[in-house]
Amino acid sequence: MSKSESKIKTFRGPRNFRLRLVLATLSGKAIKIEKIRSNDLNPGLKDYEVSFLRLLESVTNGSVIEISYTGTTVIYKPGLIIGGNLIHQCPDSKPVGYFLESMLYLAPFSKKKFSIIFKGITSSKIDASIESIRWGIIPIMEKFGVREVSIHTLKRGSPPLGGGEVHLICNTLLSSPLTLHALEVPKISSVRGVAYCTRVSPSIVNRMIDEVRKVLKPIGCEVNITADVWRGENSGKSPGFGLTLAAESKKNNWRFISEDIGSNGELPEDVANSCCLKLLKEISESGCCGRNQLVFAMVYMCIGKEDIGRLKVHKAQIDDDLIWKLRDIKEVLGAEFYFKDSDDQDQNQLIATVKGIGFTNSSKKIA
Amino acid sequence: LQNSHNVKRKWDLNELLYLNNIDPNDVIKRWRQEEDELSNDEALSEEAEEEAEDFFQKKEPSDKTDEDLDHFQPMYKLDELKSKWEGENRQDAFNEIKSRFFVAPKIKKGGDDDG
Repeated sequence: MSKSESKIKTFRGPRNFRLRLVLATLSGKAIKIEKIRSNDLNPGLKDYEVSFLRLLESVTNGSVIEISYTGTTVIYKPGLIIGGNLIHQCPDSKPVGYFLESMLYLAPFSKKKFSIIFKGITSSKIDASIESIRWGIIPIMEKFGVREVSIHTLKRGSPPLGGGEVHLICNTLLSSPLTLHALEVPKISSVRGVAYCTRVSPSIVNRMIDEVRKVLKPIGCEVNITADVWRGENSGKSPGFGLTLAAESKKNNWRFISEDIGSNGELPEDVANSCCLKLLKEISESGCCGRNQLVFAMVYMCIGKEDIGRLKVHKAQIDDDLIWKLRDIKEVLGAEFYFKDSDDQDQNQLIATVKGIGFTNSSKKIA
Repeated sequence: LQNSHNVKRKWDLNELLYLNNIDPNDVIKRWRQEEDELSNDEALSEEAEEEAEDFFQKKEPSDKTDEDLDHFQPMYKLDELKSKWEGENRQDAFNEIKSRFFVAPKIKKGGDDDG
């Protein structure tokens, strides 16, 4: 007993909480996370992290989760991913994107199809909005062979009170993802986007659209922003507005995403402006994926067949946060990335290569 | 003596990446220093040291426990972005990403208003 106990992979601190649990679930290995905010005024897990653990428990069969008395230590022994029909009430402290994003790592490798309705806030300043998952993450999944996955926005809910509803459906069940070979930096042909608002005047949406056109004019490519005004029952409990932009490539369906929402005292112009600047930054410092898509793509590369996957990344994308994540991936899955110089004109590009761990969907083995 | 100070080890990213005893901040720092050396090897040590100092000062607040270390959106500093894309050198900035688009960026003020 004590022998197996000592073998448990141990992590420290609240960093990459979801990623660590997701990797553990995929690999079927138990993990322990200790010292979670142990020096904080409010030590231990936050309500949304507990909510995330509950969600994991309900999409798997046989998971054991032990949380210490103070909440600073979690031991997680994953069960099989089973999926199914669920409703998950998200706490008001995190938007549905926080939960939804992580579920996309697990959904294609489940026993049954995923159909989860998430209720709560639909956007925030730092977590994924519905559009950025729909345009940013789902196209990446398609490259790995996950073609039938969709997200439906039933109701929007702005912070702080939320009241939104989002339905995730994943009909593709894979045994392992395809090997990725993304060696060509995509050329962007147009910028698309959605400017939305809930319970405020529709003119706010138009102000955002005008500002985006103004800021992005120098790049001279097509800018097409959809106005999405939500009224009545389906617009949640709080007034709010936000913007998601996606720079689309002509070939192969790569997209670079940026997003922002209006917080207290922010003008629609400010939101649009920061969103555009972030998009420009993302484009100027990216290989095939933006920063917010990179880890997702890398995890899928690791759990692929035993073949070398390749992905072009920009040197600037390799920052300390990415290194933390790559180390976590190695710790749980055992896959190591190797960065090679790329031979094209742009000196700033590298090729990230990794050999898949030969993962197979454990629920498929039985069937 | 000065020479030995100036000689810096060339770090390969792949060597450092999975050395768990080296903090990811330091990994990036060492790796980037090597890059500076390649581009302009003069006046490097001073610059690098300055940079390192800057680096520590900037990074200090991020070690606070109340920062959310599990986020989706990258954290960019809006001031930096503003000065790059809306400052005096915006033309250079836009030219830099010209190759990423199918159309060539044009930076003319006024002109046609069909946008």
